[in-house]
Amino acid sequence: MHPIDSIAMQLSRRTFLGDAARGIGQIALGSLLLSSCASSRAINAAPSSSAPLLRGGLPGLPHFPPRAKRVLCLFQSGGLSHIDLFDDKPKLHEYAGKDLPPSVKGTQRVTGMTSGQDHFLVRPPLALGKRCGKSGLWLSDLLPHLQTMADDLCIIKSLNTEAINHDPAITFMNTGNQLPGYASMGAWASYGLGSDNQNLPAFIAMVSQGSGKNPGQPIFSRLWGNGFLPSSHQGVALRPGGNPVPFLDNPFGIVRGQRRAMLDELRTLNELRAQEIGDAETLARVQAYELAFRMQASVPELMDTSGESATTLAAYGPDVQKPGSYAANCLLARRLLERGVRFVQLFHRGWDQHIAIGRQLPNQCRDVDQPTAAVLRDLKQRGLLEDTLVVFATEFGRTAYSQGGINDPSSGRDHHGKCFTVWLAGGGVRGGIEHGTTDDFSYNVATNSVHLRDLHATVLHCLGIDNTRFTYRFRGLETKLTGVEPAHVVHSILS
Amino acid sequence: MRSRQLLAKAIRSLVLTTSIGAALTAQVESPSAPYQVDYNHDIRPILSDNCFACHGPDENARKAKLRLDRGEYAYAARDGKPAIKPGDLLQSELWQRINAQDAAEHMPPAESHRALADAQKQQLRAWIEQGAVYAEHWAFVPPRKSPPPADDVSPIDAFIRAKLAAEGLTKAPAADRATLIRRASLDLTGLPPSALEVLAFTADTDPLAWEHLIDRLLSSPHYGERMALPWLDASRYADTNGFSIDGGRHAWLWRDYVINAFQVNKPYDRFLVEQLAGDLLAAPTAETRIASGFQRNSMITHEGGTIAEENLINYGADRVKTLGEAILGLTLGCAQCHNHKFDPITQQDYYSLFAYFNATNEPAHGGDGGVNAAPTVDAHSVLVTGEEDALRDRIAALEVALATPSPAIIAAWEAQQRQILATRGRGLILHPVRLLKISTPNSGSGFKIRDERYAEIEALGGAAFDVSMSVPKLWLPITGLRIVMHPSPDHPEAGWGHGGGTEKKHTFVLTNVSLSAGPVPSDQVNLYRLLKIARVTANCWDAANRPEGVLNTNTSEGYSPDLSHEGPAQLTTTFSEPLPSDTAFLTAQLNFGQGNNLLAKRMEFFLVSGEDGDSDLPPIVIEGLGVAPTKRTTEQSTAILDHIRAHADALARTRNELANARERLAVRTDAFSALVMDTAEHPRETFILNRGNYADPSKKVTPNTPAILPPLPIGAPANRLGLARWVTMQANPLTARVAVNRFWQMLFGIGLVRTAADFGTQGEWPSHPQLLDWLAVEFVELRWDVKALLREILLSNTYQQASTTTDEASTIDRDNRLLARGPRFRLQAELVRDAALKISGLLLPQIGGPSVQPYTPGDPWREISHYGSSGATAQSFIQDHGDKLYRRSLYTYWKRTLPPPNMAIFDAPNREVCVVDRTNTNTPLQALVLLNDVQFVEAARAFAERILHRAGTEDERLSWAFAEATSRACQPRELAVLHSTLARERRMFAAQPDQATRLLATGESLRDTSLAPVEHAAWMQVAALLLNLSETITHN
Repeated sequence: MHPIDSIAMQLSRRTFLGDAARGIGQIALGSLLLSSCASSRAINAAPSSSAPLLRGGLPGLPHFPPRAKRVLCLFQSGGLSHIDLFDDKPKLHEYAGKDLPPSVKGTQRVTGMTSGQDHFLVRPPLALGKRCGKSGLWLSDLLPHLQTMADDLCIIKSLNTEAINHDPAITFMNTGNQLPGYASMGAWASYGLGSDNQNLPAFIAMVSQGSGKNPGQPIFSRLWGNGFLPSSHQGVALRPGGNPVPFLDNPFGIVRGQRRAMLDELRTLNELRAQEIGDAETLARVQAYELAFRMQASVPELMDTSGESATTLAAYGPDVQKPGSYAANCLLARRLLERGVRFVQLFHRGWDQHIAIGRQLPNQCRDVDQPTAAVLRDLKQRGLLEDTLVVFATEFGRTAYSQGGINDPSSGRDHHGKCFTVWLAGGGVRGGIEHGTTDDFSYNVATNSVHLRDLHATVLHCLGIDNTRFTYRFRGLETKLTGVEPAHVVHSILS
Repeated sequence: MRSRQLLAKAIRSLVLTTSIGAALTAQVESPSAPYQVDYNHDIRPILSDNCFACHGPDENARKAKLRLDRGEYAYAARDGKPAIKPGDLLQSELWQRINAQDAAEHMPPAESHRALADAQKQQLRAWIEQGAVYAEHWAFVPPRKSPPPADDVSPIDAFIRAKLAAEGLTKAPAADRATLIRRASLDLTGLPPSALEVLAFTADTDPLAWEHLIDRLLSSPHYGERMALPWLDASRYADTNGFSIDGGRHAWLWRDYVINAFQVNKPYDRFLVEQLAGDLLAAPTAETRIASGFQRNSMITHEGGTIAEENLINYGADRVKTLGEAILGLTLGCAQCHNHKFDPITQQDYYSLFAYFNATNEPAHGGDGGVNAAPTVDAHSVLVTGEEDALRDRIAALEVALATPSPAIIAAWEAQQRQILATRGRGLILHPVRLLKISTPNSGSGFKIRDERYAEIEALGGAAFDVSMSVPKLWLPITGLRIVMHPSPDHPEAGWGHGGGTEKKHTFVLTNVSLSAGPVPSDQVNLYRLLKIARVTANCWDAANRPEGVLNTNTSEGYSPDLSHEGPAQLTTTFSEPLPSDTAFLTAQLNFGQGNNLLAKRMEFFLVSGEDGDSDLPPIVIEGLGVAPTKRTTEQSTAILDHIRAHADALARTRNELANARERLAVRTDAFSALVMDTAEHPRETFILNRGNYADPSKKVTPNTPAILPPLPIGAPANRLGLARWVTMQANPLTARVAVNRFWQMLFGIGLVRTAADFGTQGEWPSHPQLLDWLAVEFVELRWDVKALLREILLSNTYQQASTTTDEASTIDRDNRLLARGPRFRLQAELVRDAALKISGLLLPQIGGPSVQPYTPGDPWREISHYGSSGATAQSFIQDHGDKLYRRSLYTYWKRTLPPPNMAIFDAPNREVCVVDRTNTNTPLQALVLLNDVQFVEAARAFAERILHRAGTEDERLSWAFAEATSRACQPRELAVLHSTLARERRMFAAQPDQATRLLATGESLRDTSLAPVEHAAWMQVAALLLNLSETITHN
């Protein structure tokens, strides 16, 4: 192999090693990683010999055989009410309209939204619920479709976070730190494990608007950002409609064959010069153009759901017809996962029920209930659930007490970080179980506390990664997704 | 192991096994000396990486009460045996422990996931045997100039050459003239040279030509813009507040300050003093106050519910972090929660620095509604651009053009309007709709659907309301939606709304209407499928709030009825296309975004078939159009002309240019708000916070600098001015080193210290420590003269080397740290776009001013923002037009939660936190930007136009275009490829001329219609090819 080619190959590898100083070429598609060699000659010569290392990711990862190869994170942005949907308690009914006992409320901090209230009146869940499936897990009647999947869920009721406001809390949950500047979960996954699909990004994010509260709390590109990792690991935001990936479509007036011909000429010119001056980075860029060209075909194919059966579409519910809806995104998520995308994350906005919870929450639930159940079932039917970890998460829960008067239609619940519920399903975790308990008012953790960094450690574990050894050196520190405090894998929920 | 060669070998293997570049550099700057282990170079990195986390400066994390970071602790006997006994390996517990077989004894322990390589152990052995001499960390010792190793070349070259020789390498030959002018132009102005400039420089036989070129570039008006770029990253400059709702702010006066400071070559120490303490100087000026905004670039929030104290601590922490990383090269942030684990920075040091910034009047919540959070000043831009007269002339000319529309424009407009009026109301049928739901984000009551017919808003305070409705199955195509705003049924004379108007008659301002439709109901409008609205009319309107005001998301204008109108007001939207036949539901989002309760009271909705019966023309204009021009009254004629001036599409470009020019003149002549620092009358007290927790203060501290570094200069006040004096005093060992390292990084791609933000013990050992120190001292001796420093570096042979890579050099030194060749790297995001604008001729060389919003696909902001729920600005992206599309990229509006996509894809940071070392990736998404982004496609069109306007043969045109993009002559083989592209594209477009027209329609700039479309489009493809060349976006 010519030395320049060998460097070009190294450049491709360096992406995966995270070496991102200026002057060093890196090639990756967003987080789409190169799966062929870095120059035309090398491709013609011997692609197979180098195939294993070119799938991306770090050498030595996964650390041990993974139970999940990919992750679907269904992120409910705004703070989903664990009280109403997952963690009902008799006392919540018994104390309805009465002050939360001070012994329960304790001295933990509450947000400025309710800290000035004279009373903290207990508000029972909005709807009844039932024990479901063989496992008998309790789920609210606001989630009738999810109730049918209870035996697949691993519900963690003792999750907790220090953050009590949106920006720090959602940043914490998604990047492991309350302040900006850190890498998101999906970026870590892309960095560590690379991609199994050469024509799609390793990390894709999709945003939908909630019909409970619209607009919901603002969200930020840092939630799917690369932070200090090379920017090739940032999540690519997939949007419905034309140009689902920014700048994907050729300009009007240019057809695909014409673009192909121009790219061939571009390649000729780039290679001529690169060989002349020994420029490996340009050879890597030639490959980036080839990947871009392939992506122009693979993304529209991905977005085109016309081949989905009527049964499948119906399972996701009527909203699947609405481009950009949570339901439509769930369907796309399944399509992405079956194409080998490493980390798919949905952000559904609108879960911030400070006010009018009686009107807003049923809407929010309707948005996600059927599609969430459908994507679980769809993955399961296709045999994908066994090695896909599904994480249904939010940034914090909501208070057992009411924000505003109990009977005021404008009232709701405030943020609550001391305990809240997330659930996992699929690869690596046991279905039909609960982990952790809260007190009689679902206000404090009673047993088996799971900090959000423990959740991060557990997700990584399912991917075959030991969180203590998965680090990136930044500003002199071996930085981890789980942060500086010790994080504990929740072993008892693992299958 | 004492021989240098063996050690060098060990170090190489270390490089190979750990990729720690620190070891690259063995002490080869003085190759003849016998090898002596050096604590800083050889040992500290090993101890720091493997031991200090538990046996270093952080007492809380310290295990076994053992400290290895300073000799006095390491030598101390512990149970009779010291950790390190100088000269005595066997009596050194450390040596025993790192070689222990017993896992319980072995260090570092298994759970740390750290292990010493054999080479590292041998280094530790050699060090202990040689006496285990500790030394202060190099960066904490003031730099001094070592004598350069040779005097036949410049000092820079001498240091570089010596290191190369030690590695058995030689420097590359000088780059050719064309490469040099391109390199220097990109480095000093951020723009590639023109083909003509390249030609002139290559032909210049003056021996001082290179010096003259550097001087010319240093005085270019674009020098300041280029130099500002890295500082904007370091200072986390942005146009929005950052946290949560991320509303807009006005920070550009500070950016103007930075551009100007570099342009006028303000001494760097003065530059820092003004930014840290410009408000505290003996005689502060508007300029120095604006400068103090450096530490106001931090993120802030007005998120309801956030806790004031927590916010203020976050703001302050960001300031300390930025001071550390941007100016001192220290990761101070590590000491917020505990003593620094690696550097001798204590928590006390941290909060003492914090105290300097914890003394302002800044509120914990601020920045809503597009109003700068206090403290602010109103001031003029410091930039002097001298464009005022030209702007006034331009404004006058545009006013004339607008005042005297051509007869052709008038005739065409009148004909068009008559046609619309002629069919007005034809076949109009209004279909009542059944209303399903009404909702608003921040309230659960105070609004309702009455009788499935009226949407009523009773309570005050909301902004956007979503109304969903069912669409009946109709045989007729549905062409629009009418919204009827009824006066209050009880007191019709009280008007249609809840606010404004007159005391008696209240009104509303509807600032935006967004519609979506589909086969399934939707409580909220679907942002991803907004219906395109072709036209909006009404039955009456307030002159300042016309019907079409509802079409944009700007809340500064909207629709409001004429107050004198009696009865219902109605607004009718006509869709671009009739609704699809499967439409069963429609949702309308009505935004009353101006606050002040300018909400409608009672609304009724109708679907429209046929032609809208209303108009967007005032009645007098309609009357006038009904009669021949000669028969019109003066009032009618005037009204028609006024209307054409204000609204005719054919004059939109002129109106926009005029508005832009007026705004630009105001930027030059008016005062604007700037975020600044101040000192509160009763400054907040600062405490050490246990674990960094705002709610857990312990010991009170006062402003001070870290104990490990030299003390404050005598007489320095205990405020930011004192801090600034300390930062810039000659005895400060860090400031000058950090600064020259970043200038070096800008020119060579990688700094002499790769970890540009971290000169602490975990930072990288400099590739050329003596050169770094020489430059740092030189910089101070030059009185912090940035231009002089750059000039000196550019004049070196090192800078002027060719960047061609040889196999040998790339094998030994792939990253070119030794500089056996010239630098080569992809241009940074802003310069990629700027180069395309320059080459295309579209670039508007206007310096400074507020940020602009050039092309962006769709409205990505609205999908993640609080639009419709908040008075904050920057919640919806509104593209600018005209000049503003072609400004340099440092003027692009930077929304932190969603930075400009075409630059984020090229590694631009989101500017949430200080960044001094951007990554440089190479991805397919970048290819898509260059190939498909309107900005770049339009640049290709304009570039093609420039090419076609040049006289000459096809060969000459192609060659010129190639040189314009790449700054070098086209080789025959390359020319042949371009010819084939051109020929192929000509065939392509000749066969399908419509495709040419479509392609040429990209972008808003005017096209020279005298050029034949097929020919223009074919050349446009050649131009696109050239703009996509790797070389075009590369600094060679």
